[in-house]
Amino acid sequence: MATNHETSGHEPNFYEVKRGLKSWLYTLDHKRIGLMYLWGILGSLLLGGAFALLVRIELFSPGQDIVGQDRYNQFFTLHGAVMVFLVIVPGIPAALGNMIMPIQLGAPDVAFPKLNLTSFYFWCIGATLLLVSIAMGAVDTGWTFYTPYSLQTPTAVLPAVMGVFVLGFSSIFTGLNFLVTVHKFRPQGMGWFQLPLNVWALYATAIMQILATPVLGITVLLLFVETFMKIGIFDPQLGGDPVLFQHFFWFYSHPAVYIMIIPGMGVISELMTTFSRKPVFGYRFIAYSSVSLALLSFLVWGHHMFVSGQSRLATMVFSALTFTVGIPSAIKVFNWTATLYKGDIRLKTPMLYALSFLLLFTIGGLTGLFLGILAVDVHLHDTYFVVAHFHYVMMGSTLVAFLGGLHYWWPKISGRMYPERLGQLCAVGVFFGFNLTFLPQFVMGSRGMPRRYWDYDPEFTIFHQLSTVGAFVLGISLFVVVCYTLWSAKNGPRATVNPWGATTLEWQAPTPPTLYNFETPPELHELYNYDDLEQVADVEWVRVSKPEGADAVAKSSADH
Amino acid sequence: MSQSHDHDGHGHGHGSRFIQHHYDDAQHQFDSGKLGIWLFLAQEILFFSALFVAYILYRSHRPEIYAYAHYYLDVKFGAINTAVLIASSLTAAWAVRCAQLGQRRGLILNLSLTLLCAFAFLGIKYVEYSHKIHEGILYGAKFDPCVSSGGSPLVTKRNHCDGTKSSVVWDKLAAKASEGCLESAKIDQDASTPGLQAKCVVTELRRNGAAFEPTGKTFDECAASALLGHGKAKDVKYPCYTLSLQPAVCPKGPAALVLYGDHTKRPDVGIKVECEPSPPAKEADPFAEAAGPAPLGTRALTGVEPPTKHELNERFAAGPPPPNTNMFFSIYFAMTGLHGIHVLAGVVVFLWLLFRAIRGDFTPDYFGPVDYAALYWHIVDLIWIFLFPLLYLIH
Ligand SMILES: [Cu+2]
Repeated sequence: MATNHETSGHEPNFYEVKRGLKSWLYTLDHKRIGLMYLWGILGSLLLGGAFALLVRIELFSPGQDIVGQDRYNQFFTLHGAVMVFLVIVPGIPAALGNMIMPIQLGAPDVAFPKLNLTSFYFWCIGATLLLVSIAMGAVDTGWTFYTPYSLQTPTAVLPAVMGVFVLGFSSIFTGLNFLVTVHKFRPQGMGWFQLPLNVWALYATAIMQILATPVLGITVLLLFVETFMKIGIFDPQLGGDPVLFQHFFWFYSHPAVYIMIIPGMGVISELMTTFSRKPVFGYRFIAYSSVSLALLSFLVWGHHMFVSGQSRLATMVFSALTFTVGIPSAIKVFNWTATLYKGDIRLKTPMLYALSFLLLFTIGGLTGLFLGILAVDVHLHDTYFVVAHFHYVMMGSTLVAFLGGLHYWWPKISGRMYPERLGQLCAVGVFFGFNLTFLPQFVMGSRGMPRRYWDYDPEFTIFHQLSTVGAFVLGISLFVVVCYTLWSAKNGPRATVNPWGATTLEWQAPTPPTLYNFETPPELHELYNYDDLEQVADVEWVRVSKPEGADAVAKSSADH
Repeated sequence: MSQSHDHDGHGHGHGSRFIQHHYDDAQHQFDSGKLGIWLFLAQEILFFSALFVAYILYRSHRPEIYAYAHYYLDVKFGAINTAVLIASSLTAAWAVRCAQLGQRRGLILNLSLTLLCAFAFLGIKYVEYSHKIHEGILYGAKFDPCVSSGGSPLVTKRNHCDGTKSSVVWDKLAAKASEGCLESAKIDQDASTPGLQAKCVVTELRRNGAAFEPTGKTFDECAASALLGHGKAKDVKYPCYTLSLQPAVCPKGPAALVLYGDHTKRPDVGIKVECEPSPPAKEADPFAEAAGPAPLGTRALTGVEPPTKHELNERFAAGPPPPNTNMFFSIYFAMTGLHGIHVLAGVVVFLWLLFRAIRGDFTPDYFGPVDYAALYWHIVDLIWIFLFPLLYLIH
């Protein structure tokens, strides 16, 4: 990809160390594994997006537009399954996290490189199984695989469920790897409160990946066994309990929402401070709120089951606990806003995504509180209001953060700049396309349009049409982003060592990094202190004053 | 730490050749691996947790199923397996110590002993499972034991005949079938109709074709005398009879039926039972149909060898299994099956360790894999220590 680079100096960069397909397939280098994840995830994003557009086309007017009801059920199921399990869950940790987190720690690699490669191949196997299920006639259960329907449907549930099982272990291995890396690979002098907030977020995510995902694993395994051995644990005909499936499923899938969103929050924390040229406001609050979100996320799964026949007491407890999640989330939003305050804001593409995130996450989070209220939820349950809410969180927040992070770190990892103007244009396109798609869904949901319906009353037509138009704006923007990212990998202008003037350690590594990331051990400076950095070109910053010693750093940045 | 990494890929002073490049030293690699394995074990516990939750949930909803299920499980096997696993945990821990001290022979010995225990555990599990499969004590829809819903769990079995669903209820004390002795679609659909009571008497008992001393005995007494004392004990353990109804050979005319039974595992043993409905209900008279050419279904009856009088009485007194007893066995097989898979994985890991130990890979500088595998083995052991009382020791 990149040839010898003026700033990378003497050692070959990690692309040059070895070449050829085999050097990629057997690589243990976290950056290469991250890049392979990235291509897989971007491909899956296009696939999941294509299903989304098919769903939106079908819904353009009442009655049949392009496909019948059964086909439609398969489309929205595949959209959900591909986006959740292949794109959003692994998106930030496995792709961006893999590429960047060890470098942010000044480490040569993750703790277990072989496990890292294994987890990538698990992702590939899981993705293949999902594709097999599509080839075998797809699944029509929705991405949630609720019993008893998933035991009865003639569609290809088995490969899909096995795919989810394998993808779960891919996620667990990534989390385990990151957690050990953060514990054991911090450089001397980098205490817990000198960790970049992105690392904190990935750490919190790793906790959930390790503790929640196995429950999904055993649940889908039971579902798998149930389907062809009839063990009956979820089958009421044999004395089993289908609601138990929902409990198990959401015990994973609520924390999974935070597995998706917290890494995004980590990325946004980095972007906010870098592009505001200000230390992040309330570092410790943001760090702690990531971990407390991770812990709270295990206590609220029942809010997905308010109308599934839970006991009244359980329902009220889950409702109350759900509101507590709002506290750490709000802490983050306030801290980011305070970081922006009186900042020297640079509206580069990553920052546009960060600002979009701030707005979209706020909307997504607040509408979540509506849904946490029992009385309101009974009305809004299974309507487009819910659909809009979780798309604001999962797509409007996580995917936007992913795109922001991608633009932010792409120069470092590829050694090339993406086209800035086009990037900004697409970021705006994503923002408006997204809102056009999902704001109308809040309205029609509150007016009673149920989710997952193939047909609807004519009074909803205008909302569906706005939504479909928005989806195309969004889809085209995303497609262009994927295209110019690919294009810039070979053809973009060369990137400097520190194009954004950021303070975390990855911006001291050569661009692109060498095999073990650093030629000389990185110097520790005060985290998020931008005073010593000076802009020498549009995308080039250098450190001017003499670096402080590591001891001074430990003292001063502990005050954050 | 990272400052001390040297990135040239070669000349670092690691003791063992198994210390990977990106670690500072042997200790760093060992600590990382140790944290990694602990996290993996945390993941394992969560993986099993759903099954424990399912266990607790169903047990609290249907305690009678769990109480009944102990008739089917042999505490002996469970207890031996517990002892075997605890012993293997000891040898696994010992293996770690040997590896730390660089005692290669001790390491090889302890790894082999651990493997031996693992195989013993799997062997006993195999025996248990095959008994269960033989008896039809299986999970979910496949739960169809010889002993099943009926007045006496010993002699009756629900049977799915062609197109009909029937059950025979044997009243042991009265020495007669109390329900459903007659087979036809009509009768079986309402087996509790009073008019369908029937008296059944064993009229013939055959072994190797020769009849002997049956008459007048109750069905299960015959079953016991036909089998006990005549065959090898292991054959006697799970007798199942396939009885067929053949009105054509009924000696007492259309008012009676004869059941011919054959032991499914002992073709030399046969049993013949006569049943007489009393009084025949007119509107539900089966012989209007049975007299015709319509083929009658077959049904299976079961005689279970009573190992001791005490056990026989206890189980008999318990009556038929409560509905959905299958749920206990769904959970039993899910839990022990998943645990068994983990034991199997442990066997693979220990075989690999044994191979490496023989090759001489492990040194006091590098023994991480033995340590991690032993930790994994302890957690597998620990899970069994929970499974044993939860599954075997309930009453
Ligand atoms: Cu939730």
